[in-house]
Amino acid sequence: MVGLVLVSHSRQIAAGLADLVGQVAGGEGRVEAVGGAGDGSLGTDGAAVLAALRRACARGETLVLMDLGSAVLSVRAALEELEPAERARVVLADAPLVEGAVAAGALAAAGATLGEVAEAARAASHVAKL
Amino acid sequence: VPLAEARAALPADVALHARPAGRLVREAARYQATIHLAAGGRRALARSILELLALGAVGGTELVVTADGPDAEVAVAELATLIAGLSDRPT
Repeated sequence: MVGLVLVSHSRQIAAGLADLVGQVAGGEGRVEAVGGAGDGSLGTDGAAVLAALRRACARGETLVLMDLGSAVLSVRAALEELEPAERARVVLADAPLVEGAVAAGALAAAGATLGEVAEAARAASHVAKL
Repeated sequence: VPLAEARAALPADVALHARPAGRLVREAARYQATIHLAAGGRRALARSILELLALGAVGGTELVVTADGPDAEVAVAELATLIAGLSDRPT
């Protein structure tokens, strides 16, 4: 099953979103949630991002979703530290964090491929809510 | 290409919120057919939880399930059964 890594500037956003994804995935999701700077303040912690990516890659293919631009920088830096075999299993989603994670998590739990899961996250930008 | 349709109402006490919508996505993904759910003039791809949630279907709403593909008949039958028996509790 494709796993998700959720990277937010806020620990609470990451943890709460992991709960929501777990609900739509019927408890079958594989989610790593990482948020906040090392001291618990708002920000991103490169070491924590790298550790989450490694845990996810050890289990299989992985889609990474990020909340704001500077989280992307942290993720890109962490990707540089991965082994090539790990890096080959990771795709970054250009997607809104909440909607993308919910769409991707539901489909991942259904056994979809990494390509399908990534496309569901990307398409989340265009699904009307109202 | 086979086209099939079935109808089912959500249980009166189950709105199409996150948990039941996730359940539908997991079932829909088992079929090769492309499956849509429609209600209240809106149509959602059954594999897209965001589209399902945007239907805004409250308890008791009748959903029209359509499918297009080799296993369309069984897909709409199974989806309709699942819809009618949905629960908001963890499964």
